[in-house]
Amino acid sequence: MEEQVIYHPDFFVIPEGGEKPYLIAFRCEECGKTWFPILPYCPNCWSEKFDKRELRKGKLYTYTIMYTPQKGIKPPLAFGYIDFPEEGVRVGAQIEVGADVEKIKEQIKIGMEMEVKAGVIREDASGKDVISYKFTPAV
Amino acid sequence: MNYRDVYIIGVGMTKIYKKAPVTADELGRQAIHTAVKDAGISPKEIQSIFIGEMGGLSGSVCFGQRVCGTLGLGGVPMANVESACSSGAIAVHLAYKDVATGKSDVAMGIGVQHLSSSRAAGTGLAPDPRDPEGIQGATMAGIYAMRAQRYLHEFDATPTDLALVSVKNRRHAAMNPYSSYQQPITVEEVLSARTIADPLTMLMCCPNADGGAAVIVATKEKALQLGSKLVRIAASSLTSGIFRNDFRDMTEMEITIRCTKKAYDMAGVGPDDINMVECHDAFAIGEFLYYEAMGFCKHGEAGHFIRSGGPDYGGKVVFSPRGGLLSCGHPTGCTGAAQIVEATWQLRGDAGARQVPDCKAAITHVTGGGVYGLDNAACTMHILTR
Repeated sequence: MEEQVIYHPDFFVIPEGGEKPYLIAFRCEECGKTWFPILPYCPNCWSEKFDKRELRKGKLYTYTIMYTPQKGIKPPLAFGYIDFPEEGVRVGAQIEVGADVEKIKEQIKIGMEMEVKAGVIREDASGKDVISYKFTPAV
Repeated sequence: MNYRDVYIIGVGMTKIYKKAPVTADELGRQAIHTAVKDAGISPKEIQSIFIGEMGGLSGSVCFGQRVCGTLGLGGVPMANVESACSSGAIAVHLAYKDVATGKSDVAMGIGVQHLSSSRAAGTGLAPDPRDPEGIQGATMAGIYAMRAQRYLHEFDATPTDLALVSVKNRRHAAMNPYSSYQQPITVEEVLSARTIADPLTMLMCCPNADGGAAVIVATKEKALQLGSKLVRIAASSLTSGIFRNDFRDMTEMEITIRCTKKAYDMAGVGPDDINMVECHDAFAIGEFLYYEAMGFCKHGEAGHFIRSGGPDYGGKVVFSPRGGLLSCGHPTGCTGAAQIVEATWQLRGDAGARQVPDCKAAITHVTGGGVYGLDNAACTMHILTR
C-alpha cells in the first residue's frame, strides 16, 4: 500500500469503528462567533477560548467543476461551498458524487444537502496521497 | 490635515505581450523611459519611487532598484510593493500619497510583470497551498466560477450574458494596439471554448501576459509649469479584505463595494459622472459584478445591463475600453498601473480609435490576491478627472 498523509488532524475527525467522519468548528466563548478551521485567536475579539462544534451535514451554497485544477489533482474536480446554518460556518472543499465523472454536472444542485466524508484529495509534492475531508450528497 | 491636489504628468507603458521579447527589468525600464519623456522632466526630478510586482515572480529581490538603478534613478526613497494583481495600482497610490502629503513634489509608481518567464507560466493562478481551500484544489478561476454559478442560480442571467462581456472587450481590444489579442470573437466561440471551471470557458478567463507601465504624479504647480493636459487624481482608494467564514454573499463584491464608496466620497462624484471604467475583469463574471458594485446598475441587473449595451460605447458608461484583462492579457503586477495609463490617455483625448467621447471622469479598479476567508486580499481604485 502506498504511503498516505492525513491532512488537518486537528479539525477533521475519522472515528474508529466505522462512524461517519466530521469536521470541528470552533465557537468563541467570548463573542459567540464560530470559525473553521481552528485559529489561535478569535479574529473578532482576540479571545483564545473556544468551544468545539461538530459539522456533519450542510447545504450546498455554490459549486464549480474544474477542468484545469492544480497540479497533483486529476480533472474534472468538483468543488463547492457548504453552509452549516446552525453553526454559521461555510466550508469549501471537494465534492465527490460517485464513479461516473462524466455525469458529475447532473448530480450536483445548489441547495442540496451534503455530508462530510473522508477521501484522497490530491497527491502531495512527493507523490503521496493526501487524505482529508470532502463532501458528498447526504444519504 | 490638508492634502495637496495630485496630477498625472507622465505615463508610459509597453505593449502587453503574450510573451515579451525582453526581460522583466527591461519592460520596467521601457515604461519608465516613455513616462519620463511624456512628462518632459529630467529623471532626476523624481523624488520617490514605488514599484509593484507580484510575489517576486521576476526572481529578484529589490526588483525596483534593479529596474531603476541603471536608469540613474537611485538615491531617493524607493519601495517594492506586493499585493498580487493590485501591486501596480498600489505603487501609484503610494506615489500619489507622497505628493498629496507633501513628502514629494514629483513621484512615480510602476507596475511590471513577466509571467511567461516565471514559475506561474502555463498555469492557472491558485491560492496558497497552505490555505485550507488551496490544498483542496481551489483555483482563482474556480472561485470566480462559483460566484458565477451562484449568480446564475439567483438572478436573471445566463452564460450567454457572461460571453457578451468577453465579446465586447475583444471588440474594444481590436482598436488597441497595446492588446495581446485583437481578433474579434463571437458569443458562440466563447461558449464553445473549452471549460476551465464551469460555467467559465477559456475565453471568459484572462490570459497570462507580460508588460510594464509607469505613472508619474506631481503637484498642480509642477503640472501647470510643464504645460501638460491636466489629469487629476480625484481619488486614490485602497483597502484590504476582511476575514470571515460565515455566509458571505458571493454575488456581491464586498471589498469593491467598500472601496468604491470611499473613492466616490473622496472625489465627490457618483456613477452618473463616470464616462469609463477599467476594472478587474480577470474573469467575465468579475466585470459583470462590478457593474453592480460600482453602482452602474442594481444588484441582480448586470445581465440586463450588458444585454442592453449599458457598459459599451453609446451606453451609460464604457467598461474596459482598452479590451480589459480578458483581451489585453493580465500581467498581474503591471495591470493596475496599465489601467491608469489608459485612463490618462482617454482623459487627454489621446486614445485614438477607442477614444471614449468627451471623457471627463474615469475609474480604474483592480483587486488582488486569493487569500482564504477574504473576498479579495486588496482592492485599489482611482478616479481620474480632467
